[in-house]
Amino acid sequence: MHTKLEQFSYDDDVVRKFTFATVVWALVATLVGLFIALELVLPGLSAGLPFLSFGRLRPLHTNAAIFAFAGNAVFAAVYYSSQRLLKARMFSDTLSRIHFWGWQAIIVSAALTLPFGVTQSKEYAELEWPIDLAIAVVWVVFAVNFFGTIARRRERHLFVAIWFYIATIITVAILHIFNNLVVPAGLLKSYSLYGGVQDAFMQWWYGHNAVAFFLTTPFLGLMYYFLPKAAERPVFSYKLSILHFWSLVFLYIWAGPHHLHYTALPEWASTLGMLFSVMLWMPSWGGMINGLLTLRGAWNKVAENPVLKFFVVGITFYGMATFEGPMLSIKSVNALSHYTDWTIAHVHSGALGWNGFMAFGMLYWLAPRLFQAPLWSKRLCNLHFWIGTLGILFYIVAIYAAGVTQGLMWRAFDSTGRLMYPDFIETVVRILPMYWVRALGGSMYVTGVVLCLVNLVMTWRGRPAVYRVPVIEAAPLSEPSGELDPQVVIPRYPTMVHLGYQLQFFAEAAWHRVWERKPLRFTVWVTAAVVLASAFEMVPTFLIRSNLPTIRSVQPYTPLEVLGRDEYVAEGCYNCHSQLIRPIRAETERYGEYSKPGEFIYDHPFQWGSRRIGPDLHRIGGKYPALWHVRHMEDPASVTPGSIMPRYSWMLDKPADFSSLEQRIDALLMLGVPYGALVGRAEPVAREQARKIALEIVDQGGPAGLEDKQIVALIAYLQRLGTDLMKAPPESQPAAPLMAEPGQPAPATSNIVLGSSGHQPTSENTHEAQ
Amino acid sequence: MKLSDIMSSMQLSSYAEVALLLFLGAFGAIAISLLWNRKRDDWERYRHLPLDDTDVTLPSTDYKTSHSHQAHQP
Repeated sequence: MHTKLEQFSYDDDVVRKFTFATVVWALVATLVGLFIALELVLPGLSAGLPFLSFGRLRPLHTNAAIFAFAGNAVFAAVYYSSQRLLKARMFSDTLSRIHFWGWQAIIVSAALTLPFGVTQSKEYAELEWPIDLAIAVVWVVFAVNFFGTIARRRERHLFVAIWFYIATIITVAILHIFNNLVVPAGLLKSYSLYGGVQDAFMQWWYGHNAVAFFLTTPFLGLMYYFLPKAAERPVFSYKLSILHFWSLVFLYIWAGPHHLHYTALPEWASTLGMLFSVMLWMPSWGGMINGLLTLRGAWNKVAENPVLKFFVVGITFYGMATFEGPMLSIKSVNALSHYTDWTIAHVHSGALGWNGFMAFGMLYWLAPRLFQAPLWSKRLCNLHFWIGTLGILFYIVAIYAAGVTQGLMWRAFDSTGRLMYPDFIETVVRILPMYWVRALGGSMYVTGVVLCLVNLVMTWRGRPAVYRVPVIEAAPLSEPSGELDPQVVIPRYPTMVHLGYQLQFFAEAAWHRVWERKPLRFTVWVTAAVVLASAFEMVPTFLIRSNLPTIRSVQPYTPLEVLGRDEYVAEGCYNCHSQLIRPIRAETERYGEYSKPGEFIYDHPFQWGSRRIGPDLHRIGGKYPALWHVRHMEDPASVTPGSIMPRYSWMLDKPADFSSLEQRIDALLMLGVPYGALVGRAEPVAREQARKIALEIVDQGGPAGLEDKQIVALIAYLQRLGTDLMKAPPESQPAAPLMAEPGQPAPATSNIVLGSSGHQPTSENTHEAQ
Repeated sequence: MKLSDIMSSMQLSSYAEVALLLFLGAFGAIAISLLWNRKRDDWERYRHLPLDDTDVTLPSTDYKTSHSHQAHQP
């Protein structure tokens, strides 16, 4: 019997586009990273310009690295490998172009908004709602194009790389949609649908799984396709790849809460996150071993082939990062590492080593094939490899040292039981030399990226006048025959024989070979695994009240405090300051009473942060007079010698946005914040509080005329932080707002909590975690 | 009555343990299934799939031997 062969060609033009975008955005992301690294040792580098401050640029760095650099690399890998593995041209050239240009437009939008303080302040999800909508649309375009290609495929079996791409597309869509649910308060401002603990939970469910399903699974797909190609060896073990895939899909989605150990998150969720994180170690290493053993018999090529060098080091960093991740998720380790630069070192070993080097290896492998010309310079490629590797090592070794130093200094007690380094600035000054080494390592890595760009451009210049487009021939998919289809025919009657057949079907993993040929069924099971796991953690957190005890004395922010809070968000203060004191003695000694879940119910979005370049601010309210804050924001080093915080002097000049208050209060009202009595009079209430604070500043010897400036709103917010816990609860639970009178100091009573769990978070409950 | 009222009154407290058992069970089942598998032929073919490409757009060599910047002639 003759099967008619179909002729077709691959669309490599879109791959070329994504390839160039990858290396261009790699340069942008690493340059911004280098700039903000230098800002930490040279705080004057921002020159007092708001859009150059660390808080505003750090989200640009992370978004550019993840979504622009890694994102474009992923798309290049998907478009190149999927067509070949499925033996089909992409479903639609038009959708491919919409995807490419749409994604680049989103990245440019990020670059035009984040430095100007337009942010949701949720890490790696900072982009505001119009851009989030655009991301959703472009992602759907990508999904339609990808699944359409699968539908038209000429290879029945879906190779393991395709499974990883399917998991990426499905899970990233779910994560993006649910973490970015907001109520808009204007075109460029919104409030998270979730508040406090729930928002933190959603954010780190998203944040961790962005790492898992944007920076891990698609790069594993890349590894399973491009490593065998470069080594000219088949994948070491297909069994192991199946185990690797399903283990990651089952386990990864649970791990998010390990970012919130010892916080106000319910402990069971935190423990569950830790257990699943520890379990992740084995499948991750299974994948690493599968990658490295694919080179079995081809190690002699590694010395000669720079592509393989990049891949070997990339996979090795994957192994290191996936060992360290589970280790950091163990609570006792996390108690030391959390909020420190240790996490930054961990992230960069993954991002620069695993994502960066896998992407560069792929680019160098693709360049001769895409541009149909030999790579311009192998020597330059080797130089990139060595300078990049050394750059990563300089970076991470210095920052590991900085992180451990911070952690140990923060928790050090002297022989009298007092903090050995009570001034936070002591711990900052100590690690500055390590920040210099980090900047050196970063600049080496950036140099490597420049070399890559030069090499690719020069290779591109050597392209033929017209690219050859090979015509491929393959047979269309026919209905599966009994011989090809691994399904065991199971008799339909309930006997022991039937049971025996079913066991055979299961034991021979025939079910999996069926799934591998049926993309819809495969996708449904991946989605089910992700959704079910998410629901197990979310439903109790959201719906069972004992998980989030409330505090009667906690009241909504005043309108001026809302305005100040929004300024805090816009300036990206969460990038350096946490607002969550853990129940660890070293922290309660330094900052005060540990943070309770009920204190954050009106925090849309939460502002717990994830690192402490500066001290925690949750109990900053009332700690210093208003004038101290004015002086501190104007010139931090004048108040705290040695401070590396940038100046925010423009806040003393720039008017606060009182006119938008009604819209903001309306949006918060929609989220359930009891602002009913404030509707229509938020602005005058805010102006009155601002007038009182401005007078207070003058009384303390400060400058006059600040009542309509940003600084007053920020001070109102900072002075309120963490004070409600110590206030007397209102006589009855308020149906309408019963807010603290603006400017009134908190009473010293501690008649505070009646959570549904009966938990009394008094100082007696502050315990040592150690 | 809200859903949160119902959920809160159900005295659920073992969701974490149930979750662990559920997913450990699923993981264990997949692992056992794969380890017992005896159908090697299919998977032997699958692991070679990346090497089955038939399009050849590669120049005669991946790397230039010298820096002659002439366009590659197909």
